[in-house]
Amino acid sequence: MSRSDADTAQAPPAAAPRVILEDDAPPSRPAPRLDFGWEQAVVPVQPPRLPSRWSGLGRAAAGLAVLLLGLGLLDAANFVFDQFARGAITGLLTLSVVLAGFGLLASAGWAELRGLLSIRAVDRAREAFARGDLQTARTEAVRWAESVPEAASLLPALRGAASTDELRALLESGPLPALEARASALGRTAAVQAFSITAVSPSPGLDALVFAWRGVRLVRQVAALHGLRPGFAGSLALLRRTVFDAATVAATDIAVDAAARALLSNRLLEQFAGEAAAGAVAARRMLRLASVAADACRIVPGRGKGGSER
Amino acid sequence: MAAVPDPLDLLRPLGLSRPLGLLRDAAWTAEQLGRSALGQERLRVAVTGLSRSGKTVFITSLLANLLAAGQGRRGLPALEQASGNRLRDVRLVPAVAQTVPRFDLAGHVAALATDPPSWPGRTDDLSTVELTLTLERSSWIGGGLLGKRTVTLELLDYPGEWLLDLPMLSQDFAGWSAATLARLRREPRATAFAEFLAFADALPAAAPPEEALARRGFSLYQSALRTCRDELGMRLLQPGRALNPGPRGEAPILWFFPLPHPEGGGLSDLLRQRFDAYLADQRENFFEPYFRRFRRQAVLVDVLGALHAGQAAFEDTADALAAIAKALREEESWLDRLLGLGPERVAFVATKADHVPSRQRDALAALLGSLVGTAPGTPSSVHVIASVRCTEDDVATLDGRPVAAVRGVLLENGRSAKVYPGEVPLRPPEPGYWTHGFFRMPEFQPPRLDPAGGAGVPHIGLDTLLARLIGDLL
Repeated sequence: MSRSDADTAQAPPAAAPRVILEDDAPPSRPAPRLDFGWEQAVVPVQPPRLPSRWSGLGRAAAGLAVLLLGLGLLDAANFVFDQFARGAITGLLTLSVVLAGFGLLASAGWAELRGLLSIRAVDRAREAFARGDLQTARTEAVRWAESVPEAASLLPALRGAASTDELRALLESGPLPALEARASALGRTAAVQAFSITAVSPSPGLDALVFAWRGVRLVRQVAALHGLRPGFAGSLALLRRTVFDAATVAATDIAVDAAARALLSNRLLEQFAGEAAAGAVAARRMLRLASVAADACRIVPGRGKGGSER
Repeated sequence: MAAVPDPLDLLRPLGLSRPLGLLRDAAWTAEQLGRSALGQERLRVAVTGLSRSGKTVFITSLLANLLAAGQGRRGLPALEQASGNRLRDVRLVPAVAQTVPRFDLAGHVAALATDPPSWPGRTDDLSTVELTLTLERSSWIGGGLLGKRTVTLELLDYPGEWLLDLPMLSQDFAGWSAATLARLRREPRATAFAEFLAFADALPAAAPPEEALARRGFSLYQSALRTCRDELGMRLLQPGRALNPGPRGEAPILWFFPLPHPEGGGLSDLLRQRFDAYLADQRENFFEPYFRRFRRQAVLVDVLGALHAGQAAFEDTADALAAIAKALREEESWLDRLLGLGPERVAFVATKADHVPSRQRDALAALLGSLVGTAPGTPSSVHVIASVRCTEDDVATLDGRPVAAVRGVLLENGRSAKVYPGEVPLRPPEPGYWTHGFFRMPEFQPPRLDPAGGAGVPHIGLDTLLARLIGDLL
């Protein structure tokens, strides 16, 4: 009987629910489990390239950049032509000044772009490790090892690694723990400075400023250890990631602390906590920042973050 | 003499009874706003459901399928569409120093995949799990400056029996006793509770506060509660920890039961004290930390199981659902609404949809929809899902006529069987419907699964439910 026959047929209203065994006698072996071919049905495909959408703000920023750069270039070109009209030497001098100025601007832009791309490379490597993509993971690991002196000796082994697990083991065997130890040392130094400054500083506003400056410097130092040379945009991206990671760890702690400071009187807080305690908190947060920054720069996800935990 | 009201009780409807909690709520709201602005959302999804409604299997399947989707597997097409194909990674958040046990995903998946397989047992403790979904931003400038967006989901598994304590929070001992005894005196509960009712009715109003009396009464009450749950399929059974005391075991605060003369002294005073202490403990250790501040809610209901358990069990399930929905609304103060602490979306979910053939699933959804009605204010939807699909559609012959059935492998003996689940009505059935008596749906073996769960788990409708619950955040 076909299924469509069954769909059109109506069960008698009085039919009670029931179980109908397919064999009268118990079979010698259990029936095979159902197989929906799920693993084949859900097999991954390359994700489609997403259309990039221009937000209003993005269009405005791009328009402004085109106007500034374009008009600046046109203006400079016109000026150079005018100067050449006045005299060859004046023209050449003007051209040199314009080329030097725009050249410096372009090199700064290029450095920013490279810094930003180096941060993206960390993401690419982590994603490759997470999905077990050996080729990309190896390329990224080799590129990383070339930029980090501690990992240079591993280059031949990394090039010959046959699996992402092997790559991961090689990286975890020496260079990454060494870098983490150095990041911790940097964190301890920053913590001592943060503690000292917070304990003696005259105003909480200055505390926050010093903490922010020391925090940014610490993140850049840790990034440099991992072979990253983030420019302004790169530092911003790295700091954003580090701060979000740190916030995830201590979101409630910080939020409740901030709310308590806002809603309770300072005198009460001082009575219970005191400024030395505030310094200790700042130092502890600096240590945590170093650890989270080191995690954010690792090309291999940290233990417990690698892929799924299953 | 009229009792002096507790000032905290007067402040509770306003949400002002917990000054520190208020501070925490304000901080939480500020944090949510900040996270939302930066594209780092974090939200608690309350998976609520009566006992045996399939919460543990639901969470297992949800986690396994989301993790698989993070690896590029295409097991959740509706969610993929809702996210605009922007989902790039899904990871479990590593445990740090939580005091609550961690949801054992690996253990549950392995138990389903192994031969012979087994379903998760009755949940007897809280457990939590968090996972982070990483998504591409839609704007390239936003993506360049702020990086990828993340949405972190917090999920909680707990014994379903405890949920029935929620309606008790607004009752006092006298009110609870009267309502409970009225319910117990109706069939089929009356038969199960006959011995307890005889004992309680025989107690004089001025019974002394003897521990022996309290323990005897509780023992009879607890035994009848178990009979109602296990043999009659009842759900509206209170207090929840009398049925499932949790890992700490039975504590003296549990040893109370409804009294016909709750206003007398002596024994009734003792039981009232225990009742109040029990509710305070449940509020402080279960509802307050875990059942507030959730933004999305899935209410799981085994509609088919209730339908098969007979008219009384079906009506009891409807009553339990209504009581929980009412209690959730009452617990939400105006301040909660002001701070955005209430649920933004609620999904009512009929589980175990694979127990009926596909042509009957719409009827299952319609039946659940008519049971739960619509909650004013909060957008709600009705879904039909099978967290783990264990059957396929088939045709059976009954009395010489073909009927749509499901076919699967029975868990108890490994034999292949067809099950005709009966006709699912579109609305709560008329009395004439209940002529078949109790039918216990057999448990099926899960299909063949990857023991590591890397490809996710076959399901029905989980993707549509997730798209509705969290799709707007992706």
